Amino acid sequence: MRRLIRTLTALWLKEWLALSRDVHGLAVLFLMPAAFIVIMSLALSDVFRDGAGRPVEFAVLASDASTAVHLTDGIAGEGFKATRAPASEAAAREQVRKGSPALVLVVPERFGADPSATLTLLADPTLPPIQIAAFLQRVHGATLAVKSSSPALNLEVVGNPHGGRPSSVQQNVPAWLIFGMFLVVMPISALFIAERRDGTLARLVSQRVPFSMLLLGKIGPLFVINLVQTALMLAAGRTLVPWLGGESLAMPARWDLLAAVAACTSLAAIGWGLLVAVASHTIEQATVIGGVGTILAAALGGIMVPRFVMPESMQAWAALSPMAWALDGFHAVMLRQGSAVDIALPCVKLLGLAAALLAAALWLHHSRRAA
Amino acid sequence: MLKVDSVSFRYAGGEEPVLRQLSIDVPAGGIFGLLGPNGAGKTTLISILAGQLHAASGRITVDDAPLEDLRRREPASLGLVPQEFAFYPMLSCAENLRFFGGVQGLGGARLRERVAAVAAFARIENVLARRAGELSGGLRRRLNLAIGLLTEPRVLLLDEPTVGVDPQSRSFLLDSIRALAGEGRTILYTSHYMEEVEAICDRVAIIDAGRVLRQGTLAELLRDEAAVVTVRQGRSLEQLFMHLTSRSLRD
Repeated sequence: MRRLIRTLTALWLKEWLALSRDVHGLAVLFLMPAAFIVIMSLALSDVFRDGAGRPVEFAVLASDASTAVHLTDGIAGEGFKATRAPASEAAAREQVRKGSPALVLVVPERFGADPSATLTLLADPTLPPIQIAAFLQRVHGATLAVKSSSPALNLEVVGNPHGGRPSSVQQNVPAWLIFGMFLVVMPISALFIAERRDGTLARLVSQRVPFSMLLLGKIGPLFVINLVQTALMLAAGRTLVPWLGGESLAMPARWDLLAAVAACTSLAAIGWGLLVAVASHTIEQATVIGGVGTILAAALGGIMVPRFVMPESMQAWAALSPMAWALDGFHAVMLRQGSAVDIALPCVKLLGLAAALLAAALWLHHSRRAA
Repeated sequence: MLKVDSVSFRYAGGEEPVLRQLSIDVPAGGIFGLLGPNGAGKTTLISILAGQLHAASGRITVDDAPLEDLRRREPASLGLVPQEFAFYPMLSCAENLRFFGGVQGLGGARLRERVAAVAAFARIENVLARRAGELSGGLRRRLNLAIGLLTEPRVLLLDEPTVGVDPQSRSFLLDSIRALAGEGRTILYTSHYMEEVEAICDRVAIIDAGRVLRQGTLAELLRDEAAVVTVRQGRSLEQLFMHLTSRSLRD
């Protein structure tokens, strides 16, 4: 046991020293994602603001068809688009929870005749307040066509763990953080291939250091680097982006859940890096496989282009990208203040991927050693 | 004694075996020279002995016990000095020595003591704080050797340990290797330099295409009747080597 601890300590210390002296690798891991966060958050702030470019969908749920039509016609327009009404209030709540439609106006029976009747508006919490206020104004205008006095209106914000649209900074900080975490493929593979080329790996194997221990020796320091990345990128979203004129990043209520999502993302990213390192014969090959693979996963997974602006067919493909799983996890914590249940699925997927990638790296190494 | 008995090996996807029923006997307390042209199988044999590759067949023993058992029981009993500079250029010499000692289970005072001892043996004490990547070729070879000696191995595998160094460094390295053998170690030494092998090895095996062509003491090899017919002048090891392995170019 003492030998194992000494071996692991030596491997972690070596990896830490080697990574800390790799100036280019550190720039890739820290400066590049930070630059992306600042540039993209500022550049796309107008695109994300108030759901610009895409009207907000709403529905009116009323037992009286003519009241529903009158209200719908009166509200529609000015950035609000009517959609088919849900079958029941329960169905309406479920649909708003999923973000589509973002608003449902629930009209009670005998609304036109009963002066004390109260309207209920179910709203997606990710809608900007100004958009909800604009909608309420249109509701008041439309009800005057149905009854003489403006009714009382009860606003109910519905929890939304699975859908909704982030703001520019809410999208870009976690997105480019995830991209930065997956960029560990570059320093991992460069160092690993250099170790193999220079014979240090062979020397370590001859010293009976198990290959699984060598991989473990890399996972520890890279895991710490990914967590430091997380802290620094959130800090950039909180301080640097608003300092340059953008919106400040809202911090999560549950830091433990954020740490859990970051940890799972990190393990998946490190697993990817180790598999590329073991599979590649040269640093050039690793750069192409690792770099192109990471960029494709980012493009598909809603890192470069948010998923909510993608057509439905592309959104289905996007769900295959591990970066989309990670983004779901970060949004569940940071955007919707979700619970452990809300991050469970993304975390399980990421951990499953990490285990599969590590197993593949071990298998590939051992199959190459055998005669 | 290190005994390699009928060992065969073929790389995955390779058409021809690299080692074919290869057998050598390396006595304890001496230096055994392994000679062969490029592609003869020297480095593959060293890699099998070092545990990097698994032989398809055959048996390797140290004092009649399987080598694998010895490595499992006493992992530090076998040292390897590969022909590559197998250390981290971005780490200092001291950091490299501490790292390779640490992964082999050395720690605390024992690690400090061994780092100081091998640094003194290889005469690299004055460059311990320098990054390994900034050293001259001779110093790099000496650091490479020092790392292989950290655990005081009983069996030492030296794969072309003097490649690319100046005559002074070569002379120092050869003296050092002789001194190591004097301490009772079993040393397997591969080289392309015949004069080195003639100078320091007690026994020699000439291998080609994965087979042993001749093995014995230097005197025994040079007495070989078949060789003497061809080697008319001088009876040098190089002439014998060229005779046995032919003059065709290898890669």
